Amino acid sequence: MGGKVTCTLGEVKNRADLIVYWGGNPAECHPRHFTKYTLTQKGKFVPKGRKDRTMILVDIRETPSAKAADIFLQVRPSKDFEVLTTLRALIKGQRVSAETVAETGLTLEQLQDFAERMKKARFGVLFFGMGLSMTRGKHMNSAALLSLAAELNAFTKFVAMPMRGHGNVTGGDVVMRWTTGYPFGVNLSRGYPRFNPGEFSTVDLLLRGDNDAALILGADPGATMPQPAIDHLARIPTIVLDPKVTHTSRLARVHITTAATGISAPGTVYRMDEIPLPLRPALKSPYPTDEDVVRRIYKAVAKKPAWFPGTK
Amino acid sequence: MTTLTLKESPTVPLEAETLAPDVIAPLRHDAIAALPVFLGKRQRRLDDFFTIEGDGSDELEVRGDLGRVKWIGRGMTRGKITIVGNAGMHLGAYMKGGTIEVRGNASDWVGAEMTGGLIHVHGDAGGQIGAAYRGSLSGMNGGIILVEGSAGIEIGMRMRRGIIAVKGPVRDFAGLQMKGGTLFLLGGAELRTGAWMIRGTIVCLKPIALLPTFSYACTYDPVFLRLYGRRLEELGFSIPYQPDAGGYRRYSGDAAVPGKGEILVWKPQVA
Repeated sequence: MGGKVTCTLGEVKNRADLIVYWGGNPAECHPRHFTKYTLTQKGKFVPKGRKDRTMILVDIRETPSAKAADIFLQVRPSKDFEVLTTLRALIKGQRVSAETVAETGLTLEQLQDFAERMKKARFGVLFFGMGLSMTRGKHMNSAALLSLAAELNAFTKFVAMPMRGHGNVTGGDVVMRWTTGYPFGVNLSRGYPRFNPGEFSTVDLLLRGDNDAALILGADPGATMPQPAIDHLARIPTIVLDPKVTHTSRLARVHITTAATGISAPGTVYRMDEIPLPLRPALKSPYPTDEDVVRRIYKAVAKKPAWFPGTK
Repeated sequence: MTTLTLKESPTVPLEAETLAPDVIAPLRHDAIAALPVFLGKRQRRLDDFFTIEGDGSDELEVRGDLGRVKWIGRGMTRGKITIVGNAGMHLGAYMKGGTIEVRGNASDWVGAEMTGGLIHVHGDAGGQIGAAYRGSLSGMNGGIILVEGSAGIEIGMRMRRGIIAVKGPVRDFAGLQMKGGTLFLLGGAELRTGAWMIRGTIVCLKPIALLPTFSYACTYDPVFLRLYGRRLEELGFSIPYQPDAGGYRRYSGDAAVPGKGEILVWKPQVA
C-alpha cells in the first residue's frame, strides 16, 4: 500500500548523509535547495557539511545538477519503475535477472552499490521530481519510490519528499487533505467526498468532457494540459482567477484579475515539506484577493433559490 | 423483461446504481420510473433519462450509448442485465451474482471488487478491471470477467480470487499487486505485467517484456490449465493446453515484494 515516510527540510539539513535526487533538476528548478537545506549547509549531525554528505542523482540525461552529484546514474527513459522495483528486491537480498536490469541503462553492479549505500546511510533522503511522477507509469512510479523509502526503514532511517513545482501546490494538497481527507481528485457531488484519481482528477475529467463548467484558481492548464483537455475548457464556461492574463484566460469566458499573493495579498503558503509559512504583503493592489472573489461568488450562489430533490 | 432506452446521452455523468435487477425486479412500472438517479449533484427520476417498458423483472435490457452512465449493476446478486450499446464506469462493481452482458464497449473499473457472477464485454474495456478501489486492500474476490476486445491499465489490480480473460491486448500494470486469482491475457500485454504480485497466476499467450524481478523457473505443461481451458472453452475463450502443442515458460516473482506469483508465457512447439 501507499504512504509517505517524510520529514521537514530542517531535519534533512541537520541529519541527512545520503541525498538522492530522482527525476529532478534542482540546480535549475530549485536553485537554493542545495545551499539552504541539502548539500552545503553544516548540520548538527553532519558538522563538515558537504564533506559529510553523499549525493546521488538519477535522471535520463546529464543535467547541470549532475555537476553537484558524487554519483550520477543515467537511466533510459520510462525505466524508473523497473529500477525502483529492482532496488526494492536488492535491499531484501532477492535475486534479479541481470540481463533485464541492463535494459534499464544501468548495470546490476551499479544498482547493488546503490542499494548498499542506501542501507549503510545513517539518514537517507529520496527527493523525486516530475521526471519520475509524470512519465510512463505516473502514480505507480511515485508509489514505487515511496515504498522503497518505507522499506529502507528496516535497515536505517530513510525518508522521501516530492520536489513540488511553482505556486502553492503543496498547500492545495494539504488543505484538501484536512478538509476532505484526500489530497486531490475529490468529488463532492453526492454531498460527501469521494476520491478516485483517474475518474475525478482534472485532466481526466477534461479529456472525457465530463464537466460542464470550470473554475481555475492559481493554475494555468491552458499551458500545460494536453490539447483535447484545452479544447474542452474552451467549450465550457471557464472562469479564471489570476493576477495576470494566462493562456487559460485567453480561452476562458471570464477572467478576474486578483492581487498577487505574497506581493500584494496576504495568506499562507506551504513549503514543499508541508510547513505553513505566513506571507505579509509588501505592496498594495487595486485588485481583490483570490479569497475575496471566491467569498463573493459563494455569497451570490447562496442567494439563489435552494434546490431540493425532485425539482429540476 | 424490463427494457430501458436512453433518451439522450447526458451532458455530465449520470450515476445510476438503481439500474440493477435487485432494485427493479419487485417494482411496478410507475415505481421504476420514480427511482432516483444522480445527474451531477441533482437527484432526478429514472424516467427523466430512460423510456421504460414493462414491469420489473430479473431481466433488464438497457439500450443506447450509456458511456456516461456510471454504476450500472452495482452490487447486484441475481438476474441479468443486457446492455445494447456502450457502458460507463464502475459497471458491475461490488457485484455478487447474476450476469451482465455488454454489446459494445465498457469503461474503467468493470467488476471492481466483485465477489461473484459473470460480466461479458463484447467490445473493449477500460482500465482497472476487477481491481481494488483506491485505498482498499483487495479487489475482485470471485466471479468471471470476459473481455473480447482490448483493455486498459492496472487490470486485476490487487485481485484475490476469480478469473479475468482478455482476448485483445492490455496496457501496463496487468495484475498489479495481485494476491490470487487468474488472469488470462490472450492478446499479450505492454510493460510491467505482474508488478509487485504476491500470489496468483497470469497466463499470457504472447511473448511479453518482464520486470527484472521475475526469474525463469521452468517450461512445463501445468495440469490445472486443462481444467481452466475446458471451462474457458464453454465461455468462448480458448487457451492451448494440449501437451503436444507446446509448453508454458514459468516465471516466478515479484521478488521486490517478495511474492510467490507466477507468470506463464505460452511457447508453441517448434515443429
